[in-house]
Amino acid sequence: MAAIAHAFRAGGPNRDLVLSYAEDVKLLRSPRRSPWRWVFVVACAALFWLLPTYFVGDPGLRILAMCGIFAIGAIGLNLLTGFTGQVSLGHAFFVGAGAYTAAYFGGQRGWSMPAYLLLAALIGFVVGGVIGPFALRLRGNYLVIVTLGLVFLGQHLWSNWDSVTGGGAGISLGAAPMSIGPLDFKEGIELGGEAYSFEQSFFWLVWGLVALGALLAKNLVRSRPGRAMQAIRDRDLSAEVIGVSLARYKVGAFAWSSAYAAVAGALYGLLQQYVSPVEFGLFLAITYLAMIIIGGLGTIFGSVLGALFVWGGRSVIEQNSGQAIFDPLITTGSGEAGIFTIGEFNAVLFGLAIVLFLLFEPRGLAAFWLRIKSWFLTWPFSY
Amino acid sequence: MSPVPLLAAITADDLLQTGFSGVALGCKYALIALGFSIIFKATGVINFAQGAFVLIGAYFTYSFTQTWELNFYLSVVLAMAAGAVLGVAIEALVLRRLVNEAPVTVIMVTIGILFILDNVVTAIWGPDNRNLGDPWGVSTRELLGVTVADRDMWTMASTGLVLAAFYVFFRFSTLGLAMRAAAVDPEAAMAQGIPARRVYRVSWAIAGMVAALAGTTLAAGSGQLSPATGALALVAFPAMILGGLDSPLGAVVGGIIIGLVQQYTALLAPEYFDWVGESFERVSPYLVMIIILLIRPFGLYGTQEVRRV
Amino acid sequence: MKRHPWFRPLILLTAFALAAGACGGRDDDDDGAAGDEEGELATVPGFDGTTIRLGVITPTSGPVAVIGNPLTAGNEAYWEYVNEELGGVAGQYPVELVIEDSAYDPPTAVQKYNQIKGDVVMFNQLLGTPIVNAVLEQLNADDIVAQPATLDAFWVREQNLLPIGAPYQIQAINGLDWYVNEGGGEGQTICTLRQDDPYGEAGQEGVDFAAEQLGIELGPEVTFPVGNPDFTSQISQLQGADCQAVWLTAVPSDTGTALGKAAELGYAPQWLAQSPTWVTALGESPLAPYLQENYLWVSEGPEYGDESAPGMSELVRIQETYAPDQEPDIYFNFGYVESKAVHQLLEQAVENGDLSHEGIIEAMNAIDAFEYEGLLGDYGWGAPEDRDPPRANSVFRPNPDKPIGLELVVQEHEAPFAAEFEFGG
Repeated sequence: MAAIAHAFRAGGPNRDLVLSYAEDVKLLRSPRRSPWRWVFVVACAALFWLLPTYFVGDPGLRILAMCGIFAIGAIGLNLLTGFTGQVSLGHAFFVGAGAYTAAYFGGQRGWSMPAYLLLAALIGFVVGGVIGPFALRLRGNYLVIVTLGLVFLGQHLWSNWDSVTGGGAGISLGAAPMSIGPLDFKEGIELGGEAYSFEQSFFWLVWGLVALGALLAKNLVRSRPGRAMQAIRDRDLSAEVIGVSLARYKVGAFAWSSAYAAVAGALYGLLQQYVSPVEFGLFLAITYLAMIIIGGLGTIFGSVLGALFVWGGRSVIEQNSGQAIFDPLITTGSGEAGIFTIGEFNAVLFGLAIVLFLLFEPRGLAAFWLRIKSWFLTWPFSY
Repeated sequence: MSPVPLLAAITADDLLQTGFSGVALGCKYALIALGFSIIFKATGVINFAQGAFVLIGAYFTYSFTQTWELNFYLSVVLAMAAGAVLGVAIEALVLRRLVNEAPVTVIMVTIGILFILDNVVTAIWGPDNRNLGDPWGVSTRELLGVTVADRDMWTMASTGLVLAAFYVFFRFSTLGLAMRAAAVDPEAAMAQGIPARRVYRVSWAIAGMVAALAGTTLAAGSGQLSPATGALALVAFPAMILGGLDSPLGAVVGGIIIGLVQQYTALLAPEYFDWVGESFERVSPYLVMIIILLIRPFGLYGTQEVRRV
Repeated sequence: MKRHPWFRPLILLTAFALAAGACGGRDDDDDGAAGDEEGELATVPGFDGTTIRLGVITPTSGPVAVIGNPLTAGNEAYWEYVNEELGGVAGQYPVELVIEDSAYDPPTAVQKYNQIKGDVVMFNQLLGTPIVNAVLEQLNADDIVAQPATLDAFWVREQNLLPIGAPYQIQAINGLDWYVNEGGGEGQTICTLRQDDPYGEAGQEGVDFAAEQLGIELGPEVTFPVGNPDFTSQISQLQGADCQAVWLTAVPSDTGTALGKAAELGYAPQWLAQSPTWVTALGESPLAPYLQENYLWVSEGPEYGDESAPGMSELVRIQETYAPDQEPDIYFNFGYVESKAVHQLLEQAVENGDLSHEGIIEAMNAIDAFEYEGLLGDYGWGAPEDRDPPRANSVFRPNPDKPIGLELVVQEHEAPFAAEFEFGG
């Protein structure tokens, strides 16, 4: 069969032969050279359009929008942890910063959406840049726990800075305008005579931003700063020796990843219409870390996959644990037969999913995907 | 209308009492941190599931004491044995297969185990508050002008005992030496005939035992035993870090420092620093940890990492 | 080195995919317009012509499940009684509960809310102030009514909320007034020990109001974080200021830890405690003797099992019939009363002939008062600005021989100025 396929290929050099450095780092070569990549792009665009319009209902869109929000944050965290090797549990702090920026400037002050989204990114960038120097001093596990401390400090800040964050009672984003030009995402945009719901519009907004963020990140990674970051991850002492400025790239990585996190936080606040300090704690930090590890460290695609798997998987578990086969395990109240309540059961399944997945495929979904791909590519020599 | 602000009536007695309670609290953290540090010392893994071990240990003590109605001290010993079994089980079933993976992956797996264990505990024993049934209750005695709870005395004594046991174990016993060797270089250790597998297993077993003891001290007294008890293990992180990840002595010293910092913050902050907001004692351990790490990046007693190009 | 075949993880993913496929996609529910048909109720979201569905978002996992589970059990027992003995609402329409776990996590609660809002007529239970705060925006936007299972004063003036019981502020007002005038607290220094969050602030608000009306000066206001492991500094502060009575706003586990530390340090003021501080296990702990001497609990209604209140005898009977394994529990009782209130609301809505979300709100505004037959004070009702919560509270003391471990000291005490407390929301 490979012979037949070969016969159908246009004459010329092997498809993947590159003749210049510029071509090597190109994201999207011509369709003849990288057909499957183009298929992927077209399929994504199609899904982007079709899913909300025809296939998925509002509650499902809400879940997918949340996955998208997590994807943005996960891309940021992957830039920091996967590409630069700085393991950080502090992502939840930057997400919170973005959310409160949107709440305060959008909800309280009525800035327009592009304005407060950009401001959130900027604030994330600056705060990340301030935290970055810690990574210059601390390494490995010590950095992990210090960033964890950052999350708790953040929660303390959100709970006590009443005038801006509303304190422990939280703050509502109901008043925040959500329109870009003529498109009002809150009421639902109107395109070509059709009115769409809030969930549909928001889905498009979020996943549009995911695409933008992924493109930016991919571009960063294949360029000079990206190579510097990966050098730092692999062997930072050597990197320093050959002239990579650790200070610049470590701090830069923190800054950029925090900018992504802040945008994710702002969108999160807009989706929930309400934020409170308790949401930006250890659990959120762990969720992000789980997403990039299960998705695949050091890949952008993996971040998105991880977000879909972890958040989407959790939602799937919650929706399906009511099925009859689980009945003997579930109890709905005191004094009834069964072992777990639904909430406990979901949490156990979630933990089990993480553990089992990492046992089988410790390098994540992206690695799994690469394995499938290479199986097909090297067929019939796939062993 | 606001109430009268706190009178500046903080006496020397108060300070002494607070200091003592800080040490007692710190010993609880120290016991938890000891469990972390022994696993890290032997295998290089930060075990996020330690909090669950602590919780399970406490519930085992509860079951043995209240449900099986055994003598309390016997229950504690049995709970420690059960904790050891649990540690070994986790190691054999899960961690064994992840020996060469990226540390971040292993951390994530331990977090997954934490979720599972936390909820299994709640499922088996229920979410209600329970009384541990310890003989110490709320009884106290006077010592140097300070009121000391019996429970706290036992906590401090246990911590000291465990630390001494660790020291003797690591310094003088064959297995302890083997553990130190395996932590430095597993392959070389195996070449010397040291069974690395057994070493890992033993370290997890010891961590489980220490966790059971820690859980018992946490839940003893009038504070009820409930699933929320496990959340205290989070505070042990700064203790472990600022003492140095791989040093048991560091874990204990770190724990005591954190306990003291928390108690003194709770006493003094509302009076003198109320601009920092309420309940600042929840975050002060992390601040102290950050400050100490900036000065000594590997903790107070941690081994300095030697990096080669 | 073992090689992993690539299809091993695929098996896992396929399993997940199958599980996902098993669940059908949720259809987009549009709010069907409720056309009034002669003699028959139109079907609306949550009502399919025969059964009425109510939502419950409560923590069934996590530390707050110890409150969430008995609350839900109380809801369920009441509706079972209605379905079995009365044939349902208006004798015709049985009620079904849709229960979702919030894990006491606001974003999860919001997600669950959005998931089931198209499937229910209203919400019978939303547990937790942060949860209610988070969902309130959506409730207002979607015009759905919910019942908050917390006693904050904020909810009184909210159009879309149906609170029951005297709020925390009123508890503090009545408790303090009774104590100073009749409980032997005249001339004593009164302080507060409270949680550092909105729940704690609610109690403090009541204490401040009462102190102003009574013309007394309060001692220090000491706060602590939830789950505080050691209360030495807090107790030291109270001791140092010579507080003879302390108003306590906390949750049961912190109550145990705090009062335990007080017992150890030999500090025995009169503790006056808010209703969520008690759980039956406290009465059986080593702390019991100290509690019997020094602790008073402020809540509402009669003692458990007191037959003179018709609502109470009914509750006991229903509990024994439909939830025989349930131990007497204050949260079960609260859940029961919640459902009682919702029952009255649904009866009114059926009478009006409109069970849609908007119809429920109309029905709510048309009700004069919610009656609880002595279980709780009757709640004057109407439009949000006219609502008048019960203004009286009962005081209890721990007694191990009684069903919930509490015996009545004084029933339905109302401070003269309790009626003047303004609920601005």
